[in-house]
Amino acid sequence: MGVHKVKRVVNILHMYPDLLNLYGDKGNIECLKKRLEWRGIEVNVKSCTFQDNSIDLDNTDIVFLGGGSDREQKIVCEALLKQKQRLKEYVENSGVLLAVCGGYQLLGKYYQLEDEKIEGLSILDIYTEQGKKRLIGNIVLHNDEIGADIVGFENHGGRTYTGNYKNLGSVVKGYGNTGKSGFEGVVYKNVFATYLHGPLLPKNPKLCDHILKRVLEKKYPDNSSLAPLDDETEIKANEYMKEIILSK
Amino acid sequence: MKAKLAVLAAKAAALAAGAAGGKSSSMPGAVALRICPNLIEVLSKQVRKGIIVTCGTNGKTTTNNLMCSALEGKGYKVVCNKLGANMINGVATAFALAAGSDGRIDADYAAIEIDEASAPKVFKYMRPDVMVITNLFRDQLDRYGEIDITADLLKSAIEMVPKLTLVLNGDDPLCAQFGVKENRKSVFYGISEQVLPQTDDTKEGRFCPVCGAQMWFDYYHYSQLGKYECPKCAFKRPRIDVEVKNVDLGTPMRFTINNKPMVLNYKGFYNIYNMIAVYAGLSALGEDTNDFQNLLKGYKPQIGRMEEIVLCGKPVILNLAKNPAGFNQAIQTVLTDKRKKDIIIAINDNANDGRDVSWLWDVDFELVADEYMNTLTCTGKRLYDIALRFKYSDVKVDEITSDMKSAIEKAIKTDSEVCYVLVNYSAMYTTEDIMLELKKKYGGA
Repeated sequence: MGVHKVKRVVNILHMYPDLLNLYGDKGNIECLKKRLEWRGIEVNVKSCTFQDNSIDLDNTDIVFLGGGSDREQKIVCEALLKQKQRLKEYVENSGVLLAVCGGYQLLGKYYQLEDEKIEGLSILDIYTEQGKKRLIGNIVLHNDEIGADIVGFENHGGRTYTGNYKNLGSVVKGYGNTGKSGFEGVVYKNVFATYLHGPLLPKNPKLCDHILKRVLEKKYPDNSSLAPLDDETEIKANEYMKEIILSK
Repeated sequence: MKAKLAVLAAKAAALAAGAAGGKSSSMPGAVALRICPNLIEVLSKQVRKGIIVTCGTNGKTTTNNLMCSALEGKGYKVVCNKLGANMINGVATAFALAAGSDGRIDADYAAIEIDEASAPKVFKYMRPDVMVITNLFRDQLDRYGEIDITADLLKSAIEMVPKLTLVLNGDDPLCAQFGVKENRKSVFYGISEQVLPQTDDTKEGRFCPVCGAQMWFDYYHYSQLGKYECPKCAFKRPRIDVEVKNVDLGTPMRFTINNKPMVLNYKGFYNIYNMIAVYAGLSALGEDTNDFQNLLKGYKPQIGRMEEIVLCGKPVILNLAKNPAGFNQAIQTVLTDKRKKDIIIAINDNANDGRDVSWLWDVDFELVADEYMNTLTCTGKRLYDIALRFKYSDVKVDEITSDMKSAIEKAIKTDSEVCYVLVNYSAMYTTEDIMLELKKKYGGA
C-alpha cells in the first residue's frame, strides 16, 4: 500500500472576467486548471463578476486579475478599492495572485494618465505613468529562479516603476516594465504581476508549474509534489517562438 | 490636368504591378495621390447618383461587393474597391482605375468599403450620401488599440458629413449608438428572433455605450449582437426598419425581410446581416428593393468566404476569418454540416493579421470537435499556439505541421466526406494558391 494522500483541491478566483477580458485571459485560467487536473488535483474556478461582486478570499488559493480597456479598468478599480484591505491581507499572508496587464497596474499606488490619475490598490509599492507610445510586440524574458526563458506578448501604454522589487525576468528582447529598465513584471511573496498578457502560461509551462508549486506548498505543505507532465507541445511552442523573436 | 496625369500614372502602375504578379491594389492609388492629393475629391464629385460607403469590423467586403453587384444588376455603372483595399490608397486606386483616360469618371454610383481608422481621412475628400456600419468587434488589437478608439474614429468621420444617412446594424449596440442623435437619418436593420444557441463567447459591448451600465439582453445572436436594453438610461435596441424573421439555416437558407420571403443559396448566419445591410442600403439610396432576391443571384462570393473546390471528389471548403467573432461564426457554420469532416486550421501572425494571437482563446475552437470530426490539423505560422489552444481544451490534435499542402493532400485521402480549411487573413491567399495547384494535380471529380 502506498502512502495514503488526501485529495487535493485548488480554488481559483477569476476577478471580473466580465470586465477584464481584453486579451484571451482564458488561456491562463485554463492552463492553471488543466495542469492541476491532469495531476489528479480537483479544481474549482469561480468568477467574481461586476454584478455579484462576491469576493471570498478565505476559500481562494489563486486569484487571477486580468486586463481590460481603460474604461473597464476604472470600473473594476472602484469596485476593488472597497476590498483593498482584504486583498492586501491575502497577499501578505502569501496568497497566490497572478495579475496581468491592467491587473498589474491596479496593484500599484496609481496609474497617471495624461489627464487623470487612477488610484490603485496600493498592494505593491509601485506606480505607473502613461507613456507617449504603446509598447507592443513579442517579448522574451529570462527568469533565473525557474531557469527558463519566458515568451509572450506585451501591449501597454503604461510605464511601470517597480522600485526594489524582484522582477519576473530580465528582458532578453522586447520592452518590459518601462521600455528602458531591462526588467519585466514584479514578483513579491506569491504575487506574480506582468505585462505579458493572454495565453502566457500555456507556452511557459515551467512558470505555470512554479506558480502551482507555490499554491500547493502553502495549502498542502506536506503534500506539495507536482507530477511531471508531457510538455512536448508546450516546449516546442516556447522554443519556436523564442527562435522567431530572437532572430528578428 | 493633374487628375488626368494621376489617373494615367495609376493605370500604368497597375499594369506594371500586374505584369510583376503583384496583388496589391493600394499601390496604384498611392502613386496617383502623390501626383494629385485631392484626386478622390475630384473624381468622387463626378459620380452622378450617390456614394455609399461600408465600414465595420466584419462583413465589409462581402456587403460592399454585394451592394455593387445589386446596383449593377439594376443596370447602373458602379465604382467599387472590389478587392478590399480599403485605406485611402485603396480608395484612390478604385477611382483612378475606374476613370477613363480623359481622367473623368463615368459612373452612377460608388460603393466603397473603408477601413474604420481611415474613414476620417477619406471623408476629408469624399462626402458619401449613405454609410453602412456592419458591426464593431474586437479586431487586431495591436494595430488599433481598443474598440472605443474605433468607435470614436467613426463618430468623428460621421460628424464631418452633416447630410449623411446612416445604415446601422440595430442588433449591435456599438453600431446603434451612432444613430441615437436626432436630426440624422438612420435606417436600422436586424434579426428579430433568437436563432442560434446561446454561447459564452466574447461580448465586448455588453456595457451601455451611452451611460456605461451593464445592459440586459433578451437573447444574443453572437458576440454582443442581440436584443438589448440599458436598465439605467433610455438606450435600447432601436425600432428596426429592415427586419428579418422566420430564419431557417438549411440549404438553401430561408428567411423573411419585412415579411417578404427570401430563398438564397448562401452559407452562414452572418451572411443574413450582409444581405440585409445591402437591402437597407438600397432603401437609403432610394432604390427599389422589390427585386432583391434576383439582384443577389448575380453575386459571386469573394475568395475565402466558404469557397468550395472539389479535389479527388471531396469538397474542400476554404473560409477566412479575421477575428474572434468571425471565427466563432465560421465554427457555427462548420457545425451545421453533419457530414464526416476533416478540419485544418491555419493561423498566421503577419502584420496584416495582427501580431498578437491572444484572441485564439476568445474563440470557442473546441466546439469543432463534434462527433462528425474525422481529423484535426494545426498549421500556419502560429501552429503551436493553436495546437495548445486545443490541448488545453482536451481536444486531440492529429497533426501539427507547417506544410499546408501536405495537410490538404492528407485530408482529401481520408474516408471523410468534406474538408474544412479555416484560415486567418494572410494564410488565405497562399492556401487558395495551394488548393488551385492541387486541383490541377487531382482534378475535380
